[in-house]
Amino acid sequence: MAANDARGNAVEMRDAFGQTLVELGRQYPKMITLDADLHTSSKATMFKQAYPQRFIQVGIAEQNLFGISAGLALSGFMPFPSTFAVFATRRALDQIAISICFPNLNVKIPGSYVGLPTSRAGASHNCIEDIAVMRALPNMRVADPADAADLRAIMRAAAEVHGPVYFRIARLAMPPIFGADHKFEWGKGVLLREGRDVTLYSTGIMTTFCLNAADLLAAEGITADVVHLGSIKPIDRELIAASAARTGCAVTAENATINGGFGAAVLEVLGEACPVPVQRIGVRDRWADSGGIKELFTHHGMQPVDIAVAARKAIKAKGGALK
Amino acid sequence: MQLSPEKLSELDEMAYQIRRLSVEMITYGKWGHIGGSFSMAEFLSTLYFQVMGVKPGEPDWDGRDRLVLSKAHGSPALYAVLALRGYYPIDEVYTYCELGGFEGHTDMTRTLGLEASGGPLGMGLSVAVGMALGMRFKENARGRVFCILGDGETNEGNVWEAAMSAAHYHLDNLIAVVDYNKVMAKGFVWDEMAIEPFADKWRAFGWDVIEVDGHDLAALADAFHRARWVMPRGKPIVVIAHTVKGKGVAMAEFNYKWHTHAPDPATADAMLKELARTYGRPELGYSKLGEPEVKEDFYGGE
Repeated sequence: MAANDARGNAVEMRDAFGQTLVELGRQYPKMITLDADLHTSSKATMFKQAYPQRFIQVGIAEQNLFGISAGLALSGFMPFPSTFAVFATRRALDQIAISICFPNLNVKIPGSYVGLPTSRAGASHNCIEDIAVMRALPNMRVADPADAADLRAIMRAAAEVHGPVYFRIARLAMPPIFGADHKFEWGKGVLLREGRDVTLYSTGIMTTFCLNAADLLAAEGITADVVHLGSIKPIDRELIAASAARTGCAVTAENATINGGFGAAVLEVLGEACPVPVQRIGVRDRWADSGGIKELFTHHGMQPVDIAVAARKAIKAKGGALK
Repeated sequence: MQLSPEKLSELDEMAYQIRRLSVEMITYGKWGHIGGSFSMAEFLSTLYFQVMGVKPGEPDWDGRDRLVLSKAHGSPALYAVLALRGYYPIDEVYTYCELGGFEGHTDMTRTLGLEASGGPLGMGLSVAVGMALGMRFKENARGRVFCILGDGETNEGNVWEAAMSAAHYHLDNLIAVVDYNKVMAKGFVWDEMAIEPFADKWRAFGWDVIEVDGHDLAALADAFHRARWVMPRGKPIVVIAHTVKGKGVAMAEFNYKWHTHAPDPATADAMLKELARTYGRPELGYSKLGEPEVKEDFYGGE
């Protein structure tokens, strides 16, 4: 996960976010970035510097942040109201639901500081339920990028589609999985690695963890499909079902609570299309407290080694022989 | 500012029709808010037939004034005035609360002329602030955004976030209208959550304040004229309209029991006849009286 990772030089997701805001600002003159007193943390500050006239500071008032964004969208603009994911999806849920999603307005919502890595801010700031909450809203699209290239592609795809979008930005530097030419498509996943014994479905930064888990499993002679689903809603039903049909069991992994989130979304598809034994990796109905990043992933059982253990359980549950 | 007798009589007729249609809709739709629809009748009539620049035949006209009904449960009165103004045929209001028709609370995707969707209280002023900022971005100096709030609605913290920001951005193209009818859903404002000194609160947040009798058409026209053309000086403006909840029908006046309550057809008929007498119109009752009623009971069977 660090800059010296074997997979290449890690890139701060926040930096990619700020840079892409600026890039989109150049392309879309009707784009406006709004902030609730957090722009140097989220890196929306890069947009502020590039386009000061199209940057709106609302102060520490998230309900107002999303209401104003609705009004701007109703005036033909494309707002990006930027704040921490907890404040967007907890404090301002009603405004996002009724002022924005209900009339299907063109508002793009970046949720910063998602999941466990939030610089030791603790349970109040570690946003773990946003996937569950946002994907429950009609009209809302939800995405969680694996790396900087994926985040850039998601932001471009968000701007290209009409309607509300929620996308996650982890406060972490991630090694590159995708190249600069990477394309993101709503409702399409990516089969990153092909195997026979188990499928590892992942979203967000957990995709790197799953690739590392697949390496661990490979050393034991177990081969895994690794399926990255950056688009959580809509979700790639065909790819999910096709992979499970081949491998017969699965693990889901998300940087969030497993209650109602990404793993649940995959289970909904598998339950209807291809029922197989599934293990879920994520925060297990508890708060995500302060702590070091590595420490937290160990504490919550979300390390690659935990994913490998879950994979073995899933293989056992389908009656497969463990080598 | 003076209104001609003809204009005054037109506004009076529209206020009467707003109340009439509100009762018709709420009775036929079997749900709704008569009290808070009645209290808005005069200022909605004044806004749509005297103050606001709109083109019903061209609802997306970029130069239009905009109105956000933050107290979105007052939808019957707004649906009525939009029909009267010509956005859609009057018969369409009878789809109110029917599946696929006009929503109970405002849904802009269902009803032409609505500028926003709503329902939960406290949210509309923020949307109006966004629209007022949007007008600034487009360098539209003549346009105005109107936002109608309930008095009890100002208990919501989001209202004051929006109020603070409107002053911060110097949005003198934003005119809030508070329907100060003194009555909330389950009691009186002073008793449930006191909001006084109300005008001082807005002034302290950086707004200019106009207080007006919300049922006096000439006074309303004058207040909106001042708010729009005379007062703008870098501060948003609030028109506090002192109104009577349920104004027009004795049993509903100043009575929180008529906040959310659909009359049965016979009661609606009596209400409408009383309304006609009050306005000196020919006695006209409930138009759907005698139509067979559909029972609401449903237990999952055929």
